[in-house]
Amino acid sequence: MAQFRPKRLDLGCFTNIKIIRDHTKRKVFEEHEPERQALRFMIRNTSLPQRTRAQAQLQLTQMHCYTRPTQIRNRCIMGGKGRGVFRDFRMARYQFRMKALAGQIPGVKKASW
Amino acid sequence: MAVPRSRILDLMKVQSRIFSTIFNPTALRLGNKVLRQRLRGPSLAAYYPRRVATFKDLKQLYPSHEMYDEQEEDRLEHIQISKSRGKGAPKKKKSAAESRKKPGKKR
Repeated sequence: MAQFRPKRLDLGCFTNIKIIRDHTKRKVFEEHEPERQALRFMIRNTSLPQRTRAQAQLQLTQMHCYTRPTQIRNRCIMGGKGRGVFRDFRMARYQFRMKALAGQIPGVKKASW
Repeated sequence: MAVPRSRILDLMKVQSRIFSTIFNPTALRLGNKVLRQRLRGPSLAAYYPRRVATFKDLKQLYPSHEMYDEQEEDRLEHIQISKSRGKGAPKKKKSAAESRKKPGKKR
């Protein structure tokens, strides 16, 4: 959603629209996380009146989908791929292989015995 | 040896005071596990590498200095070569009439 996107892009990796979108979602989630956690606390607190809890539930479901952590997906920083991404290297498997064989990832070596 | 309930409650009270936890002997669901969770936002938002200073920024900061941008020079050279071979991009059209397709030329 363009309303969350900053005027100037602050990404230093490969960019396409999917990466920009994911980055925006991450930042929006970071911004709204305390609010979400407060609502979740209210929903789970059984000592609060039932009406308050229901209202909190409604409010949480009506928040924008970009504020939801489940919208975030790890993408490859070299090519923007969404599948087969190594969490530790933030790279898809093929990009990882190319970089590793070229010796550009410190501490990674092709296994041979 | 049976320990009276009140003694145990006192012990729990002291325990919760020392470790600064909530005193909840009846195990009510107070949603405190949500408050105990760490905020995941900062680590999630730091996933993609951020922008660093580029050649363009440097040039904007010091407009008076003469700098050599190798990539830009390469690009210009490539364009010049392709133009000299007649393979360059077409000229920008000035009016709408010029940009209209030529009639009668069908493929």
